[in-house]
Amino acid sequence: MQKEQEFVRIIKQHEGVIFKITTMYTNNGDDQKDLYQEVVYQLWKSFETFRAESKISTWMYRIALNTALTKLKKSKRMGNSVSINRVVLEQTENYDPEFEERLKVLYAHIKQLNQIEKGLMLLLLEGKKYEEIAEITGLTPTNVGTKI
Amino acid sequence: MELEEMQALWSDLTNQLDHQKKLTDKIIMNMTQEKYSNKFRTITTIETIGAIFCFTIGVCVLANFSKLDTWYLMLCGVIMVAFLLGLPVLALRALRKIRAVNITNKSFKEALLDFSKAKKNLMNIQKGAVAASFVVMIAASGVGAKILGNKDFFLVERNIWANFSILLALVFVSFTSYWGYRSYSKITNSAENILKELE
Repeated sequence: MQKEQEFVRIIKQHEGVIFKITTMYTNNGDDQKDLYQEVVYQLWKSFETFRAESKISTWMYRIALNTALTKLKKSKRMGNSVSINRVVLEQTENYDPEFEERLKVLYAHIKQLNQIEKGLMLLLLEGKKYEEIAEITGLTPTNVGTKI
Repeated sequence: MELEEMQALWSDLTNQLDHQKKLTDKIIMNMTQEKYSNKFRTITTIETIGAIFCFTIGVCVLANFSKLDTWYLMLCGVIMVAFLLGLPVLALRALRKIRAVNITNKSFKEALLDFSKAKKNLMNIQKGAVAASFVVMIAASGVGAKILGNKDFFLVERNIWANFSILLALVFVSFTSYWGYRSYSKITNSAENILKELE
């Protein structure tokens, strides 16, 4: 039971990351919710075997990106169109339409990239160093630098 | 859009998301609901198989009821049929009720209250079943001996081995009753813990 509580705590602490990844790899709210659920499920499944050899955030990015790419392959929904109604969900108190519009433009730019580049861009925007991006994606740091 | 601008915007997005920790709540609730319901899945399957077994025997006893020719054997037949047909229905209904406790659409207190009622009902049925199983064992011996061997279990002379067999059967019934009750107790306590984690 303690492990479950720990999992919930970690998920809640990093839910913003999952949200950003799932928004990046989907084109509408329903797909985003499906992918979000799938990512949480896959994280839960692999949490049992998580040995803390890597940072929790590294593990989380890796699982989330792999899940997103696998789901995309399965569903073959590889379109680049942007049809997100609201990029930032559940903004109740500080909802800013202008900010929302700028985010849509940002996501539209990112969605023009291929699936691997999207992941690299996300990690770069998250402020990850090349070494950590390499660890998450399985590429070499040099390769990461070249692609970026 | 320049990279610096993208990074600044992304940073704003991160800050905003950090302030709304609600995204996962529903998923966690759904996962908890699924886990809660799954706690009762195995025992429901076992109970269902047991119910089919009980119904089959119950129908067989009913079909051969005319062979029970004394008032006490008839009474044994009635007790046995009532137990075999009634108990599985009550147990499965109680299990369905406890599995149906809704965590996602109700408050924690409401869910826990529903659970407590359902648990009490389920455990009372199990206690009743444990107590009745000894009576039913005697009744089943009488009915079985008459229908299968045309012998009166209560009048026939028994040697030491026959009496030993009855003793063994009593031990077996005691053990299975205890095991069954303990299993139910463990499962319901485990499910209760899942609910309490939500507090």
